[in-house]
Amino acid sequence: MIAAVQALRDIRQRSVSVRLAIGLSILSALALALGLISLSLGPVDIPVSQIASMALAGVGLDGAEFGRTEQLVIEQIRLPRIVVGAIVGMALGVAGAAMQGLFRNPMADPGIIGVSAGGALGAVAAIASGLAGLFFLALPLIAFSGAIAAALLVYGIAAVGGRFSMATLLLAGVAVNAFLGAVVSAIIILQPNNEALREILFWLAGGLDARSWEHARIAGPLIAASAAVLLLLSRDLNLLMLGDDEAHSLGVRVRATRVAMLIAASLATGAAVAVSGTIAFVGLVVPHTLRLLLGPDNRVLIPLSALGGAVFIVLADMVARTLIQPAEFRVGILTAFVGAPFFILLLIRNKRQVYSL
Amino acid sequence: MTLGSRRGRLWSTALVLLILGFVIAGCSGDDPPQAQAQRQTAAPAQQQEEAQPAAAQPDQQEQAQPEDTAEQQQSEPEQQSQPSEPSEPEQQDEASSEEPAQQEDEQSQEQQASAPAEQADDSGAAVRSLEGVPGIVDPSNSGWPREVEGSNGMIRIAAKPMRIITVSIGHDEITLALVSSERLIAVGAVSKDATYSNVADLVQDKQETTRDPEEIIALEPDIVVTSPFVPIEVVDALERVGITVVQTGLQHDLQAQINTILLMGYIYGEEARAAEFADELQARYDALLAVTSDKQPKPSILSTARYSDTIWVAGSNSTQGELIVAAGGVNAAESAGVDGNQTSSLEGLIAMAPEIIIIPQPLAFGAEDFRQSLLDNEVLAEVPAIRDGQVHIVDSKHYTTLSFWNLLGAESLARMLWPDDFPEPPEPSFSLPE
Repeated sequence: MIAAVQALRDIRQRSVSVRLAIGLSILSALALALGLISLSLGPVDIPVSQIASMALAGVGLDGAEFGRTEQLVIEQIRLPRIVVGAIVGMALGVAGAAMQGLFRNPMADPGIIGVSAGGALGAVAAIASGLAGLFFLALPLIAFSGAIAAALLVYGIAAVGGRFSMATLLLAGVAVNAFLGAVVSAIIILQPNNEALREILFWLAGGLDARSWEHARIAGPLIAASAAVLLLLSRDLNLLMLGDDEAHSLGVRVRATRVAMLIAASLATGAAVAVSGTIAFVGLVVPHTLRLLLGPDNRVLIPLSALGGAVFIVLADMVARTLIQPAEFRVGILTAFVGAPFFILLLIRNKRQVYSL
Repeated sequence: MTLGSRRGRLWSTALVLLILGFVIAGCSGDDPPQAQAQRQTAAPAQQQEEAQPAAAQPDQQEQAQPEDTAEQQQSEPEQQSQPSEPSEPEQQDEASSEEPAQQEDEQSQEQQASAPAEQADDSGAAVRSLEGVPGIVDPSNSGWPREVEGSNGMIRIAAKPMRIITVSIGHDEITLALVSSERLIAVGAVSKDATYSNVADLVQDKQETTRDPEEIIALEPDIVVTSPFVPIEVVDALERVGITVVQTGLQHDLQAQINTILLMGYIYGEEARAAEFADELQARYDALLAVTSDKQPKPSILSTARYSDTIWVAGSNSTQGELIVAAGGVNAAESAGVDGNQTSSLEGLIAMAPEIIIIPQPLAFGAEDFRQSLLDNEVLAEVPAIRDGQVHIVDSKHYTTLSFWNLLGAESLARMLWPDDFPEPPEPSFSLPE
């Protein structure tokens, strides 16, 4: 244990590229291993050898025999679910890291500017009104629209009078979050229909059940593009954390950079919320944990938060769907169950480092 | 000492005295919470006179219920919800909470363990004894006042209650089978909703109420018989104004429901009607089991529903599971180790490999879409129920309420499974009191 702590301290002293390489190696290996384990676990018993055969068959090579059902389970149920989970985790992780940097506040999370609450309101309104049943992807699309509308509202409030400030943005986010939360509560309380209530409550709990390739297709490109923008601007985010004047003097276009990052983080969060519901804690706990382990440099933090978020969600979903199989747990509940105590433990053990963030 | 500090001290003293005053007033006022378990409520003034239990009115009239064949259920526009999951605000149907359902099931097992025997009455006819019925303190006491033990403690009922409220759909359904309709003076919105309620057509003209104590008090009920999930604050508020409140659990176990009916009959002063009705149910239940219990091979049946994208399955200790077993099937989810109502997945459905799938979900809430999506899903093609086209939408309100109406669900399912043994559709309703 002591050796591990010492090793972590050593890592924090290394250069950015070394930290990034170490982090990427560890998290990539972890993601790959988890992905494979997750693929092989589930109510239908599918040995790893059969999964390997399917992979070989996919590239035209022969392997062990496998059944049609097993192939469909892997291709149409487990793989898209894992991919959607990874995409959602990536979005929440990267958006959380960006928000914490932008607000210079380790308690910031992707929902701080009302995106999650807007997505929740969109989804809840769609379910309550019956619009969610119009077509297959109606619910995620309406949820995404709600998320973006909420973000625009917050930006609009923060930019009133032509003076945009992060403090106003934060406060506007808090107010809009509270307002949208109240509207969601009002819809729930006034909803006479038990079935709709049930759908609402389960959407709000967050989950990846029945995620398909279509969900991956609608959320994936948006999240990938947003993550790329945040990654490209990670160096500028480091400079922004020094203060606006310092960043400006070092060549950063402060306002443009900040707005670009906010938009990218909002789009990523909105897309994630749209396909998974509100999954708590990932955007807060993953970047924060990585910051404690690897330091606050956003050039390391942002890419690793993407991978870390993906690993966290895939792991949580694997546990959620295998813990009481063939029944399932809600992944949103599990992330909070596991994430919160782990986060508290980490905070207690690293108090000094937390104060310095 | 300055004037300011003296004034401050005076204020402090006044504040302390004020707090002390509140504390003393609180202690000398109403019952402390601990006393609630043993409280005995006073009867309303107009019911202080002792009354004899009313004789049963054997005249029965059938409710106008729709035919309940599986085929007809598929075309029914409104069906009922699946129980379980998280608690829902303003939910008046205790059937929709999984944990409560499990707790009630524990009660049901206790009640089953002490099923009452039969004894002869004065005329020599066999009537059910109330001995051993959980909740009845002194079965030999057929006068008033009488005592029952609810989940809110020992309750003294001073006189035969004539104005009844339950704000619980299961209790409403049972109450309407025991007392004349006028005595149930108001119902919750859910009881009026034909999607969920088996007695919607009987209560359309009744006043609607919620669990708001003020609304209930304004209706001047003699008694409120309701589920243990009504908040204690509501019960307390009602009792403070002299309304007798009895909280009783409901069970998804068909046999245990008979004890609840006998208890509620005793509470309402309708023991004879309750006994008669219990016999009616027992006869139908026995007739069902006489055919289904020995059937072999028993088909593997999965009860499932989909809300949003979440698939639910009913395992052991669920109403749907009880009905599957009573109808002569094997609960596929229970065999797979699912306890209660749980979320699952398409993969879970493959693993459970049911021979028949039933969907107790309202059509208005996607039952047909869900059924079609199961049949069309290539991943499920080798599941026996999908392969054989054995996916049926059933009348959800028979599967999810917690009352004797569950029996109709079991009978309908049995007819679906064993059509040669049940050539006729089950009686679509039950007897009603005069």
